[in-house]
Parts: sequence; structure tokens; C-alpha cells
Amino acid sequence: MLPSDSQGTSRLSRFNLMQSVFAEGLIVVALVAWWLGSLVLPSYAFPGPGEVFLAMGRLLVDPDFAVHSFATASRILIAIVFAMLIGGGLAMLPRYVPEFGVFVNERVRPIMNSFPSIGWAILGSIWFGVSWTAVIFVQTAILIPFTMINISEGLREISSEEQEMARSFTRNKWRAFSLVIFPMLFPYLVTAVRISYGVAWKISLVAELFGARIGLGTLILQSQTNNRIDIVFAVCLMIVVFFILGEKLVLAPLARLYRAPQRI
Amino acid sequence: MSKSLALGRGFRVFPLRRETGDKPGVVTAWVLSVLLLLIWQGAAMFMPPYLLPSPAEVFPLIVELFSTRSFYYHSAMSLWHVAASITVAFAVSLVIAVLAHFQPVIRKAVYERLNLFLSSFSTIGWTFLAIMWFGLNEFTVIFAVAVTLTPFALSNLRTSLEELDSEAVEMAASFGRSRLRNLQLVILPLMVPYIFATLRICLGVAWKVVLTAELFGGASGLGYLVSRARANFEIPTLFAIFVVIVCFVYLTDKYVLDVIHRRLRKNYAALG
Repeated sequence: MLPSDSQGTSRLSRFNLMQSVFAEGLIVVALVAWWLGSLVLPSYAFPGPGEVFLAMGRLLVDPDFAVHSFATASRILIAIVFAMLIGGGLAMLPRYVPEFGVFVNERVRPIMNSFPSIGWAILGSIWFGVSWTAVIFVQTAILIPFTMINISEGLREISSEEQEMARSFTRNKWRAFSLVIFPMLFPYLVTAVRISYGVAWKISLVAELFGARIGLGTLILQSQTNNRIDIVFAVCLMIVVFFILGEKLVLAPLARLYRAPQRI
Repeated sequence: MSKSLALGRGFRVFPLRRETGDKPGVVTAWVLSVLLLLIWQGAAMFMPPYLLPSPAEVFPLIVELFSTRSFYYHSAMSLWHVAASITVAFAVSLVIAVLAHFQPVIRKAVYERLNLFLSSFSTIGWTFLAIMWFGLNEFTVIFAVAVTLTPFALSNLRTSLEELDSEAVEMAASFGRSRLRNLQLVILPLMVPYIFATLRICLGVAWKVVLTAELFGGASGLGYLVSRARANFEIPTLFAIFVVIVCFVYLTDKYVLDVIHRRLRKNYAALG
């Protein structure tokens, strides 16, 4: 190895080490600041890390928490599937029926996009009562504009040359779609799933405040009503853990499955 | 006058849509929109008004809303909450993103720790924590919305800084060593289109979450009106408020933000 190469490598590894020191150092600083803050503020308003981690531990061994978590996670998964199907279908409609382009892109999409999430939550609870249908309906409605926008962007990126090439090889539209369009669209579908997953954990939990008896959103609401801020904190941190686990164990490997399509 | 692009003998002649100004599907869009309204009216005839009020019931209520002073007050409060939270989230994100851009060693801390945490922390969680910390007031609403918007703004500003024209940045560095001067005279002006795109995304998300924060943690704003209508089971009023919000966000996006976006697109090729 050339000396310059080894110098470059050691500089890079030193840089990586410093990056990790800053990254993990930030967590330590945040924990210390949290602990110091909890010493100054009353525990009913700002519980310390010890209390919150204890509450997290209690939640982890509580079978009820497993039921709440399972309910929320499965609703999120079902809502993402529905949102991908409906949002994807709406995004693809103008491609195959161009007459619907203005209606889908300038009516349906902006209206869905600007409808407030609490609006869906209230309407869902009025129409479907306290049920799984209500929560899944609300979450799907909140996620549809996000999936629509991403899949539309993906479709826009597929150039007409590639489509023409596919058409020159086969007249069968389904074959052209499954062998050319879908593989090129795959990265955008993964992005749509990733964004929906993030939004689902972050925003669409609001659905569980009105339309559910179990779920993490309901648990947060109950804890807030009972003034158990340690449990509110603990559930929120558990949501962060669930989100990161799903992102690292499922979505990141899924995103690595593809390589960016090469332009012809 | 219709112009077309001729590609030589034997080739199809493609009309240039932008020059002819025609847009396929405009009529269809109007027909389908009217059809949807008719379906809504028809469905409402078979359902009780507490489940689905008809457009004929909702539209007079919209007119009534606009004739009350409290509606203007609460709308102005919601606008203030949105504007304040976007300003806070944007300013904080801009400082953090620029710091991370000039100090690559902190990028992992910013994007893989701070931003990951903020992206996955539930808005409802922030709202309830803010209620317990600050009580039911404006600050709670602004805090909950700002902290929800920060990861969106941070991710977008990061992308904008990564996609800056490296030659222009290099040229600026060759003219002066002062990073602050380069930031002020070259980097920020180059970022203008991206900054606008970030603000637009933040505005969309802010309207989605501000009502939730106002409903639980505020004493004013459209979310408060929604909360009052819900408590009194005034479903037609709820529909009227939602229609007004959707129209307001839609019209602002189409006739204000989109116009600015197109102007910026003309002036800044980088926007793509």
C-alpha cells in the first residue's frame, strides 16, 4: 500500500471515530441534561431518566402493553398496505387513462393532502364508531397523499424511451408493467412505504385517540388523563424504539435490494 | 396559434402542449368533481345528518361561519400558530443543517441521532407532554407543531445543502476565506429555491397537525372550534370547518405557493 493511501485510510478512520464520539456523546449529553432537568423540575411534570426507564421496563413485562403494541403495529401495517394500494392505484390512473390526470393530480391529491388529520380522526369515529375499521380508515386516509405523491414522482421519472422499448418488445401491457415499469418503480415504492411508516408512527396515532379502546395512542391518552407523565414518556420512547427497529431491520434492507435504475 | 414540432418526413408531428395551452382532462375533472358532489348529496339523503350532512346543509353553514367575528379570530390564531411554528422549526433547522454542513464530524450526531429521534417521536406525545409542561395555551400549540416540523425541515435542508452547485461554492471559497461571508453571499442565495420548497412542505404538514395540537392543547384556533363543535355534536359545522380548511390550504398552495415556485424555477435552474 502506498504511504499516501495509508495516511488517507487512517485519516478516514480517525474521522469516523470522531463522528461516532460526537454521535454517542450527543446521547450522553441529552441524558445528563434530562437528569439535571428532572432534579430541578417536579417529577409529575418532568420525570428523570431513571423513572422513565423503570416505566419502560414495567411496560415491557406487562402483557397489556404487548396487546396495545401489537394492535398499533398491525393497524399501521394494514393501513400502509391499503394506502399503497389506493394511493398507487390513484397515481397510476392518469398514466393509463390520461383524461383522469387533472382530476387525480389537481383535485383528489391536493384535497387529500390538505385535509387535517384530526378531521379524518373525528369523521372516522363518527362513521365507524370505536373499532379497528375506524382506526384503519383514518390511518389509510392520512397516508394516501404521501404514497400518491411518491409513486407519482416515480412514474414521472420513468422516461418515455424506456416505455417505448418495453412496448416494442411486447404488446402485452401486464408483461411490460411487471418486467419494465414495476422494477423501475420499485425504489419509489420502497420510499413510499418508508415515508408512510414514519408518518404512521408519528402523525396517524391520532386515529387511536377517538376510534380505539386499545393501542399505543389510547395508552398515551389514558396516561395523560391520569397524570402519569412517566408512562407518556415511556410509551413515546417505546414508539421511537419500535420505529427504529422497523426501519433498521425491515425497511433499510428492503431499500438496499435495488440499485438506482441506469438511464439508457 | 397552434405550433408543432416536426421531426422530418415519416415522423409523427407532436403538438407542443405548452404552446397550445390545452390540457387534457380539464372538462373530465370538472365533470367528476360535480359528480362527486352529487354523490355526496345523494348519499346524505339516505343517511342521518349526524353521520353525513349534505352539501346543501354544509354550504350555508360556511357562509354563516364567515359572518361571525369569532371565526376570523380563530382562523387568525391558527394562521399565527402555523406561521410561528414554521419560523421556529425552520430557523432551528437551518442553523443545525448549516453547522453540520461546515462541520462534517457532527453530521452523524445530527442526522443519525437527533433527526432520527425527532422523526420517530409521536406528535400526540409532544402535544400531551407540552400540555403537562406549559398548560393549555398558545405556546403549547406552537411547541408541539414546531417540534413535529423540525425533522421535515432538517431533512430537506440537508438535501438542499448536499445538492448545492459545488463549483459555485468552490469559486466563492477562492474569493474569500470568511465562511460567514460565503454563507451570506453565495450559499444562502443558492439555497433560496430549496428553502422555499422546505417551507412549502412544512406548511402542508403544519396544517395537518396544528388542529390536533389546538384541539388538545389550545384555547384558540380552528382546532378549538372543531373541539367545541365535536363536544356539541354539531356535525354539519365540523364539515363546514373542514371544507373551509381544505379550500384555504388548496387555494394558498395553488395560487400563491405554486406561482412563487414557478417564478423561482425560472430564475434558479437548480430547482429542476
